[in-house]
Amino acid sequence: VNSVVSRKRRLVRLTVRLAGVWVAAGLLAAFCPPAIAAEGGKNVLVLYSYSRILPAVIDINNGLRTTILASTNRPIAVFDEFLDMPRFGGPAYSNTIVTYLREKYASQPPDVIVVGAEDALRFLLVNRAKLFPQVPVVHMAVPVSSLRSIPPLPDDVVGVPVEYDFSRTIEQARRWHPNARRLVIVTGAAATDRAWEAQLRDAAPRFGDRAEVEFLAGLPTDALLKRLSGLGGDAVVFTTGYFQDGGGRKFTPHESVLAMASAATAPVYAPFYTFMGTGIVGGFMSSYEAMGRQAGRMVNELIDGAAPASLRFPELMPTNLNVDWRQVRRWGIDEKAVPGDAVVHFREPTFLETHRNALILAAVVFLLQAALIGSLLFEHRRRRVAELAEQGHRSKLAHASRLAIAGELAGSIAHEINQPLGAILSNADAADLMLESGTDRRDELRAILADIRRDDLRASEVIRRLRALLTKQQFERQPFDLNETMRDVGSVLRAEARRRRVALDIRPAAASVTMVCDQVQIQQVLINLVLNAMDAVDDLPEDRRRIVVSIERVAGGIDIAVRDRGQGIAAEHVPKIFDSFFTTKRKGMGLGLSIARTLVEAHGGRIRVESRPGEGTAFHVELPAPDGTPAPSPAQA
Amino acid sequence: MITTPLIHVVDDDEGLRTALLRLLGAAGFEARGYASTGDFLLHPHPDRPGCVLLDVRMPGPSGLELQEALQRMDVTLPIVFLTGHADVASSVRAMKAGAVDFLAKPVERDTLLGAIRCALARDTLQRAGRDDADRLRSRFASLTVSERKVFDRIVDGRLNKQIADEMGIAERTVKLQRAHVMAKLGAGSAAELGRLAERLRSLSDG
Repeated sequence: VNSVVSRKRRLVRLTVRLAGVWVAAGLLAAFCPPAIAAEGGKNVLVLYSYSRILPAVIDINNGLRTTILASTNRPIAVFDEFLDMPRFGGPAYSNTIVTYLREKYASQPPDVIVVGAEDALRFLLVNRAKLFPQVPVVHMAVPVSSLRSIPPLPDDVVGVPVEYDFSRTIEQARRWHPNARRLVIVTGAAATDRAWEAQLRDAAPRFGDRAEVEFLAGLPTDALLKRLSGLGGDAVVFTTGYFQDGGGRKFTPHESVLAMASAATAPVYAPFYTFMGTGIVGGFMSSYEAMGRQAGRMVNELIDGAAPASLRFPELMPTNLNVDWRQVRRWGIDEKAVPGDAVVHFREPTFLETHRNALILAAVVFLLQAALIGSLLFEHRRRRVAELAEQGHRSKLAHASRLAIAGELAGSIAHEINQPLGAILSNADAADLMLESGTDRRDELRAILADIRRDDLRASEVIRRLRALLTKQQFERQPFDLNETMRDVGSVLRAEARRRRVALDIRPAAASVTMVCDQVQIQQVLINLVLNAMDAVDDLPEDRRRIVVSIERVAGGIDIAVRDRGQGIAAEHVPKIFDSFFTTKRKGMGLGLSIARTLVEAHGGRIRVESRPGEGTAFHVELPAPDGTPAPSPAQA
Repeated sequence: MITTPLIHVVDDDEGLRTALLRLLGAAGFEARGYASTGDFLLHPHPDRPGCVLLDVRMPGPSGLELQEALQRMDVTLPIVFLTGHADVASSVRAMKAGAVDFLAKPVERDTLLGAIRCALARDTLQRAGRDDADRLRSRFASLTVSERKVFDRIVDGRLNKQIADEMGIAERTVKLQRAHVMAKLGAGSAAELGRLAERLRSLSDG
C-alpha cells in the first residue's frame, strides 16, 4: 500500500483533479474483505493489467464485485491483483509476480480466475501452467483485435471481448462537425499506445476523403498541449489517451485526456468510457462497469458448477454513443443531431426540470389569471357592446318618437313656414307690379326687399329648429345653454300653442345654465311634456289653458318643471304613467312618457310627477348638476 | 257714399299682412289691415263695396268665428280665406258658410287677385240685388191702404167687378186704383204685378 500511495503522490503533481480518483481508490480499499476464505467458501482471483487507481479498473471492479457478491448467499472471497503492466514489464517482473501469486494463494487457491484487459490475459496464458492450471478463466475488457492476434483461447478461458470501434466515433465526430477540415489523432509512446496508433493508422485513409488527417503520435506532453491549444475552429481531435508520452512520462490515459481536453481549442473525441467527464465530447464506448457485471455473471455460473464450454454469452460487449452535454453546448453541436439512444452525461437539469412542479403551478396560476383577465375583458367588451346597442336602440326609439312629435306638429309647422313664405311671395308680387307701373317707387321696393330678407330668415329658422330635432340619430354629449334650449322649445311649440289656444309661458333661469348632455333629447323630453300638458287642458276654459315651463337650480342639480292646470292624473294611474303603452288618451301610443323617462335616466337624471286631481299636474325633470356650475342662485319665480 | 271697393285684410302676422296690403295696393285696390278679428270688428267699416281677406288661424277668435259673427250681424262682405295649413274640415266649413274661396299660403298673385275680383263681383251683385229690393219695398210702401187692398186682390187673381163688390166700392174706383198701383210699382201688366208680389213675399220672409 505504501508504494501505491507514494506513486499516487507523484501523480498529484500532474493535476489536482485526481482527487476524485483518490476518493474512489479509498472506497475500493474499504471494500476489500478480509482475505480469509470461509470453510466451504469459494475464492475468486482477479488479475488486472493496470494500476488499481485507473478509472477503468475502478469501474470494472465495481461491476464485477457487486455482481458476484450480490448474487449468492455462499461465502465468496474476491482477491484483486494489479499487475500494472504498461509501467512494469519484462521476464523478471513476470516471474516474480508468478512466484508471488503462487505462494500467496497456495492456501486459498482460486476457484475462478478473472483477468482484466489484454496484458493480464497474456500474462495468465503464458504462465498458466505455473498458476492454478485447472482453474477456469474469465476474461474481461479484452479488445477483440487482441484476441485475433493470439492463438485461439482454450475452452476453459471464456469472456466477452470489447471492440474499441475508433472509426464509428470518428465518423460521429465528423457528422457533428461537418465543417471541420482537419482530423487530429493523438496517441502516445507506450506499447499499448503504439498498438492503438497502428490500429488508427490502418483506418486513417477512410477519413482522408473530406478532411486532412494529422497524427500527433508520441509527442512530449508539453509540446502536444501547445499544439492542441493552437488548433482553431476547423479541427476535430480524436485520442485514445496514452500511458506514456514522447518525453517518457507515464500517465493513466484518463489523466492524459484530461490534460488534452483542457488545452484543446477543438472538440476532443475518445473511445473509452472512463474519459467521460474529462472534457471530451464523447464517442462509441462500452461501459467498464457493464464489462465487470458481464464477467461477474459468468463467474457466478462457473462457481455454481457450470462447465466453461456450456456458458452462453454475447459475442461482443455492446457499445453506446456516449456524449457530454456540456461539450455539445460548448461546441455548438446541433442538439437535434444527437440520436435518441445516445447516453447523455452531465446534462444539467434545466430550470424547467428542476422546478417542474413549481413551474406547472405557476403556469396554471398564470393561465387561470389570464383566463380570468380575458373573461373580464370579454365581459367588459360584451357589456360595452350591449351598452352601445342599447344606446343605439334608445337613440332610434327617441328619433322615431321625435318623428311622431313632428307629425303631430305638422299643422303648426306648416303654418309657421307658410306664413313667411306667403309674405315673401306677396312682397315679390307687389314689387313686380310696382315695377310694371313704371313709377319710381324705389323706397317702397327697398322696404319690400328688407322684408323679404327678414321673412326668408324666419322661415329658415323654423326649418333649422326642425332639422335639429329630426335629422340627428346619434347620441352625443355636448355643452349647451339650457335657457337657449328652452327658448327653442318655445319657438317650436309656439304655433302649436296658438293653434290649440294654449298660453305657453317659458321661464328660463336667471343666469345661463350650461349642461353637458344630448341637447336634442332634452328638447324632446320637454316638447313631449308640453304637448301632454296641452292635451291635458284641451277641453278646459280659457283661464286654465296655460302651461308654465320653468328651470330652477336645486341642491345637486337642475329641476325643469312643466306645469299645467288641467284635470290632473287619477291617483291609480300615477304609478303607471311612465310605463310603455300606458295611455289614457284617445289617440296616442303611450310611448311618450316612457321614452322621456328612458332619455332622462340615460342622462343620469330622473323624472317624476306631482298631480292634484282637478287642479293640475307638474312634471319635474331633474338632471345632475353640470361640472363647474356656480352655487345655486335663489329659486326662480 | 264712396263706391270704390275697400278690401279688409285680417291677419295676425304683421309681415304677411304688410305684404298683402302692398300687393293689393300695387294692383290698384284700396286695402286696410287688421291684426285680429276683434280689431276688424271694432273698426267702423263704412258701407262701401269690398271684401274680406281673412286668415283662418289667429290668436283669439278665429277667421271662421269672424265669418259666423258677420253673418249674424248681416254683414254681407264676401270672404276670401287664407290659411297656412289647409285642413279639409275647416275649408268645408268655410265654403259651406258662403266663403268665396279658401286659399293656401303662400298664394300666387293671380290666384289671389282672381279671388279678390270674384269676391268684389259677388259684392257688387249682392249690392245690386239689395238695391232692387229696397226700391221695390219703397214703392210698395208708397201705396195707400186701399191701393194695397186692391193690389192684394189683383195678385190673388180677382177681376175688377169682384174687387169692387168685395170692397163695396165702385168698379170705376177699382180701375183707377189699379192704374195707380201699376204706375207706383212700375208694372206693365197683371202678370208682372204677380211676379213683383212674389219677390216682395220672398224679401219679407228672408
